[in-house]
Amino acid sequence: MNKEIFSEIPMRTWNWLGVNEAVVDRDLLVESQNLDIKIEADHQEKMIVEYRKESYGIVNINIGENASLKLTQLQLMPQDCGHVNEINVVLEKKAKLQLVAVETGAKSFASKVNIILKGDKSQADVSLLYFGDGDRSLDMNYVLEFQGRKTVGNLEVYGGLMGASQKIFRGTLDFKQGSKQAKGYEKENVVVLSKGVRNRSVPIMLSGEDDVVGNHAVSSGKINEDKLHYLMSRGLSPAEARKLVLEAAFNPVLELIDDEALRQEIDSYIKERLENE
Amino acid sequence: MAQEKTYIEDIERTLYDIKNVDKSKYKSQSGLTEDIIRDISARKNDPEWMLEFRLKSLEVYNQLSLPNWGPDLSELNMDEIVTYVQPDAKMTGSWDEVPEDIKDTFDRLGIPEAEQTSLAGVGAQYDSEVVYHSIQEDLVKQGVIYTDMETALHEHEEIVRDHFMKLVPPKDHKFAALHGAVWSGGSFVYVPEGVHVEIPLQSYFRLNAAGAGQFEHTLIIVEKNASLHFIEGCSAPKYNVTNLHAGCVELFVNDGARLRYSTIENWSRNMMNLNTKRAVVGKDGVIEWVSGSFGSHVSMLYPCSVLKGENAKCEFTGVTFASKGQNLDTGASVIHCAPHTSANISTRTISKAGGKATYRSAVKVTKNAPYAKCSVNCESLMLDDISRSDTLPTMDIEGDEADIGHEATIGRISDEAIFYLMSRGISEDEARSMIVRGFVEPIAKELPLEYAVEMNNLVNIELEGTMG
Repeated sequence: MNKEIFSEIPMRTWNWLGVNEAVVDRDLLVESQNLDIKIEADHQEKMIVEYRKESYGIVNINIGENASLKLTQLQLMPQDCGHVNEINVVLEKKAKLQLVAVETGAKSFASKVNIILKGDKSQADVSLLYFGDGDRSLDMNYVLEFQGRKTVGNLEVYGGLMGASQKIFRGTLDFKQGSKQAKGYEKENVVVLSKGVRNRSVPIMLSGEDDVVGNHAVSSGKINEDKLHYLMSRGLSPAEARKLVLEAAFNPVLELIDDEALRQEIDSYIKERLENE
Repeated sequence: MAQEKTYIEDIERTLYDIKNVDKSKYKSQSGLTEDIIRDISARKNDPEWMLEFRLKSLEVYNQLSLPNWGPDLSELNMDEIVTYVQPDAKMTGSWDEVPEDIKDTFDRLGIPEAEQTSLAGVGAQYDSEVVYHSIQEDLVKQGVIYTDMETALHEHEEIVRDHFMKLVPPKDHKFAALHGAVWSGGSFVYVPEGVHVEIPLQSYFRLNAAGAGQFEHTLIIVEKNASLHFIEGCSAPKYNVTNLHAGCVELFVNDGARLRYSTIENWSRNMMNLNTKRAVVGKDGVIEWVSGSFGSHVSMLYPCSVLKGENAKCEFTGVTFASKGQNLDTGASVIHCAPHTSANISTRTISKAGGKATYRSAVKVTKNAPYAKCSVNCESLMLDDISRSDTLPTMDIEGDEADIGHEATIGRISDEAIFYLMSRGISEDEARSMIVRGFVEPIAKELPLEYAVEMNNLVNIELEGTMG
C-alpha cells in the first residue's frame, strides 16, 4: 500500500476504532506548497487561502505580541481529486487568531491544524464547516495547545454528512502544566442526512494543569423533523426544507466569511450537492 | 498572598494493607510456560477441552503484543509473576471451616457481617482459589446457581463450555489470552427464567501472596425476564514487587432480563490491574454497571456492553480516584447492534498528588441499530497542578437515525462556588467538602448503602487553608 501517516492524535486509543492516525496516499505528500506568515507585533491582518486544485498546502504562521490575524481557509477542490493541508500557528503574548475553515471539496482529504497558545493571554477562535456527500472521505485533526497563562481557545465545528460519506473529526484541547487560568471550549454539531454515512468523532481533552476550565461537547443526529415539518407546512418541498435547515446549521461559519462572492460560492456549492444527492 | 489548596487526604489503606504470612499450600513457578499451564490444569482436574483451551490461549498470548496505547506496562515482567497460588484451605460453605488467618482477613473486610445483614450469597476468593461460597436456600429452590467456577466447570460443564470466553475470546488482547491460559477461581451465577434475586450476591477477591497474579473468571447468566444484583469487591496488601490482576467477567443478560454489576476496586499500589469485563444484552434487557476504581498502580478497565437485542439498555456509572503513583486508565464502551438500543454513561474522575486519571470510552453504533440513543457525560476534577487528567472518548456512528451526545468538563474546585456557599453561612472547609462530596454523589447514590459508606471512607476529605 502506497500510504503514509499524515497526522496522529496526541494520545492513542483502541486500534479497532481506526482513529489513531490519518493515512493518506504517499503521492499527495511528495510536494508541498508552503506559505510562511509572520504578523509583526501590534499589527492586524486578514488573509484568505483557497485550495482549488490537487495539492499539499502548508501554512506556517507566527503572530507577534498583541497582533491579530483573521485567516479564512477554503477548500473547494474538484470532487475527483485528493488533498491534504496543514496549518501550524504559534501565538505570542496577547496575540489573537481567528481561523475560519471550510472543507467542502475533494474526493478525499486530510487536514491538520496545530495551534500553540504560547504567550500569556493569547486567544484562538476556530470555526470549521465540513460537508461530505457521495463516497467522499473527510479526515480532520485539530489540536489547540495551551501553554501560556490566561489563554483562551474555542473550537466550533459544524458538519453535514450525506450519501455514503465517511468522516473523522479529532479535536484536542491540550492544557499544558503552567497554563493557569486557561479556558478551552470545543463543540461539534453534526447533521446526518443519509443512512449510508459513517461519522466518527474524537473530542480529546488533556490536562496537566488544575487551574483551567475545559469543556467539550459533541452532538450527532438526523435533521430535526419538527423543523422540516414546519417548513413543509409553509409550502417548501422536502428537499428545499432540508436545504434551508442545513444552511441555518452552517450559518455560524458562513457569516464569518467576509467576501460576499466566496460566501455565495460555498452556499451554491452545497446547495447543488444537496440537489444532486 | 498565595491561596492554600484544598487538601484531599489519600485513601486510608490500613485495613487493606494487613498482610497474612504466606501459608500457601502450593505455588507454581514464576513465569509462563506450557509446563506451568499443564500443571495448573492437572491440579484443577480440568476436563480435556479446558486444558486444550488453556494451551491454545498460551499460543495466542505469545503471538500478541502489548497494547500500543494506554499506560506504560513495561514494569510488568511475566517471568517474575507467580500465576497460581493455592491457599491451604478447601472450599467450604461454613466460615468455621475456613482457616483462622484467612477468616480474619475477610472479617476485617466485613464480608461475613455483610452476608448476615444484606447479601443473599457470598463467594470469597483468597489468592487463586475460592475458599468460601454460600447461597440462601430459597434461591437454590428456585433454581439459582451460585458457586465457584471450578465447581461449575464440573457440575455444569455444558453451560460453562457454551459460554466460557465466548464474549471475551483470548484473541481479544494479550491479557485476555493470559487469562485464558491461567484462569483460576471466580464465580458462576445462573438465574433461571423469571426468577428475581431480590438481595445482592457478592464475590470478594483477596490477593495475599507477594509477586502473584490473580486471574479469576466471573460468568453470569441471567435468563429471560430474570434479575440480579451482583457485587464484586477486591483488595490486596501492598508489597514492593509487582502483582498482577487479569480477571475476566462475562455477563449474559437475556431478553427482558436485568443485571446490575457493582464493583469497588481497591487493589494495593503495586498492582497492575488489567481486567476485562463484557456484557451482552438481549431484547428489552438491561445492564447496569456501577464501578469505583480507587486502588492499583496501573489500571486498564473499560467494561463493554454489547446491546444485541432490540430496545436493550446500558447504564454505566463510574468514579475513579487517582493519587500518588497511580495511573488509572478507566472508562466504558458500548456497541449498539440493534434498533432502539440506548445507553447512558456517566463518570467522574479525581486526580491528586501526581496521580493520572484517564477517561477513555468508545460508542459504536452499527448500521443495524437505527434509533440508537447514547448520552455520555464525563466530569474531571483536578486537585493540584502536578496531577494529570485526560479524557479520550470516541464515537463511531453509522446511519442517520442515531441520536448521540457527549459532554465533558475538566477543572478544579471553583473559588466562586466556595464563595457562594460561604456567603450562605457555610464555613470554607465545609464548603469545599460539600463540593467534593457533591462531585462523587451521583456515583455514591447508585451504590448499595454499605458500599456508599465505604466509598465515603475511601474519599476521606481533610481540609485546610483559608481563602486567599
